[in-house]
Amino acid sequence: MAVRMGFVIITSRCIDCDACMVACRAENDVPLGNKRNWVKSSGVQGQFPNVKEIFQPGNCMHCEHPPCVKVCPTGASQKRVDGIVIVENSKCIGCKYCIVACPYDARFPNPVTGKADKCTFCWQRLEQGLEPACVQTCLGKSRQAGDLNDPNSIVSKLIAKYPTRQLLKQVGTGPNIYYIDEAVPEIPQGE
Amino acid sequence: MELTWGLMIVIYLFTAGLSAGAMVTSNFAFLYGGQEFERVSRFGAYISPFPISLGLGVLLLDLGSPFNFYRLFLTLQVRSPMSYGSWAILFFTFLSVIYLYLWLPENYQVLGLRNPQTWKKRLAKFMPVLSVGVASYTGVLLNAAVRPLWTAPLLPVLFLVSALSTGVASVILIAALSPWQRARHRELHLLTKADAILIILECLIILTMIVMGRTNSLSVSSAFSNLLIGPFAWIFWLLIVGLGLIIPLALELMELKDKIPVKWALPVTISSSFLVLFGGFFVRFVITYAGQWSGWFN
Amino acid sequence: MSKVYTWDQLFSRRQFIKGTVATAALGASATAGIGLLAPESSLGINDSPAQTPAKGVKHVTTICEQCVWRCGVVAKVENGVVKKLEGNPNHPNNLGKLCPRGNAGIETLYSPDRIKFPLIRAGARGSGLWRRTSWDEALSYTAEQMKKIKDNYGAKAMMFNSTDNLSQPFFEILLKAYGTPNYGTQRSLCFNAMTTGFLYTYGMPQPGTDYRNCKYIIFTGRNLAEGISNNETQEMIEMVARGAKVVVLDPRFSKTAAKATEWLPVRPGTDSAFFLGMINVIITEKLYNEPFINRYTQGFEDLVTEVKDYTPEWAEKKCEVAATTIRRIARDFAAAAPAAIAHPNWRTSNFTNSFQNERAIAVLNALIGNWAQPGGLIPDQEMSTAKLGVLSHPPFPPAQGMRLDGVPWQYPMVPLAYGVIQTMRDNILTGKPYEAKGWLISRQNPVLSIPERQKTINALMKLDFVAVIDIQASDTAYYADVILPESSYLERYDGLIPIGNKIFIRQPVIEPLYDTKSSLIIYKELAEKLGLREFLPYKDEVDLLSRQLKPFPVSLQDLQRAGHYEVKNFQEDHSKDFEFQTSSGKIEISSGIMVQMGKKAVPTWNEPPRPEEGQYYLLTGKTAQHSQMFTQNNRWLLEVFSVNRAWLHTSVAKKIGVKTDDDVVVESEVGKVSIKAYVTEGIRPDCIFMVGGFGHVSKGLKFAYGLGASDSALHKTVTDPISGGSSLSETFVTVRKA
Ligand SMILES: Nc1nc2c(c(=O)[nH]1)N[C@H]1C(S)=C(S)[C@@H](COP(=O)(O)OP(=O)(O)OC[C@H]3O[C@@H](n4cnc5c(=O)[nH]c(N)nc54)[C@H](O)[C@@H]3O)O[C@H]1N2
Ligand SMILES: Nc1nc2c(c(=O)[nH]1)N[C@H]1C(S)=C(S)[C@@H](COP(=O)(O)OP(=O)(O)OC[C@H]3O[C@@H](n4cnc5c(=O)[nH]c(N)nc54)[C@H](O)[C@@H]3O)O[C@H]1N2
Ligand code: SF4
Ligand code: SF4
Ligand code: SF4
Ligand code: SF4
Ligand code: SF4
Ligand SMILES: [Mo]
Repeated sequence: MAVRMGFVIITSRCIDCDACMVACRAENDVPLGNKRNWVKSSGVQGQFPNVKEIFQPGNCMHCEHPPCVKVCPTGASQKRVDGIVIVENSKCIGCKYCIVACPYDARFPNPVTGKADKCTFCWQRLEQGLEPACVQTCLGKSRQAGDLNDPNSIVSKLIAKYPTRQLLKQVGTGPNIYYIDEAVPEIPQGE
Repeated sequence: MELTWGLMIVIYLFTAGLSAGAMVTSNFAFLYGGQEFERVSRFGAYISPFPISLGLGVLLLDLGSPFNFYRLFLTLQVRSPMSYGSWAILFFTFLSVIYLYLWLPENYQVLGLRNPQTWKKRLAKFMPVLSVGVASYTGVLLNAAVRPLWTAPLLPVLFLVSALSTGVASVILIAALSPWQRARHRELHLLTKADAILIILECLIILTMIVMGRTNSLSVSSAFSNLLIGPFAWIFWLLIVGLGLIIPLALELMELKDKIPVKWALPVTISSSFLVLFGGFFVRFVITYAGQWSGWFN
Repeated sequence: MSKVYTWDQLFSRRQFIKGTVATAALGASATAGIGLLAPESSLGINDSPAQTPAKGVKHVTTICEQCVWRCGVVAKVENGVVKKLEGNPNHPNNLGKLCPRGNAGIETLYSPDRIKFPLIRAGARGSGLWRRTSWDEALSYTAEQMKKIKDNYGAKAMMFNSTDNLSQPFFEILLKAYGTPNYGTQRSLCFNAMTTGFLYTYGMPQPGTDYRNCKYIIFTGRNLAEGISNNETQEMIEMVARGAKVVVLDPRFSKTAAKATEWLPVRPGTDSAFFLGMINVIITEKLYNEPFINRYTQGFEDLVTEVKDYTPEWAEKKCEVAATTIRRIARDFAAAAPAAIAHPNWRTSNFTNSFQNERAIAVLNALIGNWAQPGGLIPDQEMSTAKLGVLSHPPFPPAQGMRLDGVPWQYPMVPLAYGVIQTMRDNILTGKPYEAKGWLISRQNPVLSIPERQKTINALMKLDFVAVIDIQASDTAYYADVILPESSYLERYDGLIPIGNKIFIRQPVIEPLYDTKSSLIIYKELAEKLGLREFLPYKDEVDLLSRQLKPFPVSLQDLQRAGHYEVKNFQEDHSKDFEFQTSSGKIEISSGIMVQMGKKAVPTWNEPPRPEEGQYYLLTGKTAQHSQMFTQNNRWLLEVFSVNRAWLHTSVAKKIGVKTDDDVVVESEVGKVSIKAYVTEGIRPDCIFMVGGFGHVSKGLKFAYGLGASDSALHKTVTDPISGGSSLSETFVTVRKA
């Protein structure tokens, strides 16, 4: 089966340390003031002392039906055969159409390159057999990445074992980040 | 929430509509108006190429990589409204320049086309199609970027009607301002009537959009709340509904019923048509800004 | 007369461009490769994922110093530029992962605010006027001043301060060779309560904790999600994921609390009531481990008598945790024994009763007998740590005179190695028991880390001579006479560090960008200028490290290439696990030393002060994205945590009429700051919380200057008379809309 790269993010394991965000900046030369990934907080909910707070990391969902690719007038935004959504800089004119079209706000105009910028799944690292930078450094092993079509990948095993949810499924983008909120005692071996 | 698309894009959306509207006004006046509407057609033709050229220039400035602009025209991405829209605008601008040329007084037509009238007619028949495309394309452009506010299916229609209304208004404005067009004429009367109808239509469309939006999903309905009672409410109610629709409509209706004293006629014509343009601009503004402001809820 | 510069001019574009040119040149020579950083040095890690190094790319293994935890790092260097830092999977302190601060080390290295050459003050102290100088002049000047002080007032008039770091042993040699008793560490601001509490119970200041097998853990303010200790933070997350019981006592809903199974918003300063209540339940219900107590402890009977009245109902009135909750936790905790831990904590210097609190925690652990058991406390690993080679040097001169920090004459129970830095600061100002004259400070920022910022600045202003070794213009360096710029941790060597059977190295991943030196060299050259050459008898760093490595059959080059050396056939030694270094040789439930001091020997209750009507407890703590008083100028970290805010409970915010991000004025007896509010349900209504480390006063920290506010400007100086710990929650403040 074709490769379909995607992420599993286990919110119960995230401590909102933002190591993933700093690692992404280093790996991908993300200019100050912009970011390719994030950690959102539910805010402190409830009333003292019965409160809770949930942290939800995220980045580009490498959608199955990415509106960013659809709207791109030059073909710079592409979905690769392995499912990774990228911007081919030489074709990008910086019209920012893809940026407004992304319902997850996963893209930004890169002030240095003048191009649309976004999570590239760290494909330069994948080529070397390394995990994406954000996954590699994650203190909680909250971020996991892999081939969703390979039943032996960590992500597939997690999805098979735990209930998952996707963000904004109703918009029809077919997001490829699967969220697990339950406690995950052990990260399965895979790939 | 940061705004990715700013004033430049608003100007682009507005000017594209304005040019298309002026073009259609000119075409119809020429095809159906006969001699009496000659001036209207001429003004429309004279206006048409300029706003959109300005819009394109401004758009170019807004690009992150302006020197890569040509990339747009090395490809046709059929699913990207901006791609086919750009081609459409390219042709439109090109043809509108030719059309303008054909409307120049004969001693200026140095290139000496053999059959200017025939070409004029052909173009006048073809341009409305392209113009409707250009005017509604700006709505389709936003439609395709799945933001709650922008998913409104009537957006292209709204932009089309607003484009026509601003087009007509621009012709009225120029006609009223031009030194050899002081007195009120039948042609202006008809244009004013057309504009009033378009404004009423626009109001109806906006109303329908709001009703449809408010009964839609939580995300869409809250996007519309932003317009009606949220941070954009004052622009919507004051600048668009008040200054851009109600007041010019009222003025136009009074003009049509000859309720305006003669010495006020000119200023009223000028202000009502200006207000229509003003409102049309803020329609694009509010949709562009509030649209980016709006996001989906899980 | 050489030119005088302000900070702005010193780091102006022109100067900076000069710096970058030098960088390029140095970068080139670095890639040409001194043998030790040969391009092929790669990861040196067998089980790491395959890497095909591109041209001009090399990987160098070293140790992080964005905080004190010392995680293993693999640096990726591309054409002489550090591009990426990644966790070394072979390092036990971080298991292959870096925290946000570790990931941001590149910005620390390339920060435009690095000090690029030695500086000598050229205006009044604190005026921010400097002149550039050579190392020779800077060091000669420093040595001259230090000699002058020694000649005129004796060595004791000179103070040496340094916060925990890999080259600290050599700093200690320098100060002992100089002959002063006055040594200031960060410890009394940090963990004195914990270390003394455990020292006087187990004879061991910092036992470990076996998270992996633990089923029930109680944290008292220990906030592993934000006060990151990399591998322990990871283990805490695993505990939570595993479904182990994690109870967090904290007046504030920390991120650790957000992850915990139970958050108990205890009233500040009353944690010991909670623990005494637990002990009461465990004793009355006979839930303790009797054989263990009989065999290894001393003083149980005294404890039984002492805690008789500390019922959960009594405790509830003090700490505001329900009696039923205390009872339930005590039972569940005991039931999970020995795989249960009341965590020793870390910076638990919150009140003057924190020592008693730590003692209660230490004793609670003893009652359930979790010592050296799976899931319990782990005896100190010193016995099981490889021993480095040492340099021999002449005997130190005797240190003359009393210590300024009151140890032991005012604080008889505080170990000399810990000291009481805040008292040292106070005594500079009082001039008692004698006048201090000079201060040499290495990688410490007392202006922000000691309570009462203004007092610390006054102390600096009073001295004859202040020299600071730092990588940036810290708030303390800003008030110095000489700044000796150290190379950053990615450009230098430090002393080797053994952890268990492995020896790790910090080594330069690139050549120094600027005219800076490692502290190993700064200390050595300063010793030379002071005529103390024979105390630090090494040629250079490589020479020193080679000698440290002498006992092992491995060359420094091999160690550098591999990043660590694993001692062969290393036997862990657990023979002394149950030999407690206390006066009785047992776990002292009743402390012999406390008896000698005429104090209550068993853990006891001391009523802490409370704020009056209209006042609030001021709480301080860490954020995961910054280190202490140091990284607030790091732009990468500012991207993820831009400023500190004052946490206010919703009801308080309502009362004073503020919303999140409105300005409020927080005022204490000693200071007043203006800061943005953060309104939350996640804090007790009687508390206000601020992350420490913001509110920098140094204009040499361009990005951090004036950002947020410093709680050190508000903190009163309150010291626990037993542990010497600075009681950081014992300051009460008022708050109003700005
Ligand atoms: N309000 C408040 N006060 C506190 C705390 C709190 O939470 N709130 N925490 C307390 C605790 S737990 C501690 S441990 C202390 C820490 O107190 P300090 O040790 O005084 O503070 P640090 O920020 O660790 O100081 C580190 C200094 O070293 C410099 N530095 C960084 N890297 C290098 C290097 O490579 N070489 C050299 N030479 N210098 C370097 C930094 O620029 C900084 O000036 O603060 C205590 N004070
Ligand atoms: N990211 C990051 N990690 C760090 C550091 C850093 O600066 N940044 N510093 C390192 C150092 S030197 C240290 S010492 C450790 C410190 O690590 P911890 O001791 O775990 O961390 P702090 O944040 O200082 O802990 C203070 C907590 O105690 C709470 N508190 C205040 N008063 C009381 C009280 O009376 N009772 C109870 N139960 N809680 C109270 C505060 O609300 C706060 O949440 O972190 C280390 N790790
Ligand atoms: S998340 Fe946004 S940027 Fe990523 S593929 Fe989907 S639409 Fe495109
Ligand atoms: S900004 Fe670039 S990638 Fe995005 S739509 Fe425009 S051309 Fe395509
Ligand atoms: S996969 Fe790479 S590019 Fe994408 S968010 Fe993670 S680190 Fe950034
Ligand atoms: S590194 Fe992991 S634990 Fe930390 S914030 Fe990112 S996802 Fe959460
Ligand atoms: S805990 Fe973070 S900052 Fe501290 S040494 Fe480890 S990686 Fe570096
Ligand atoms: Mo500390």
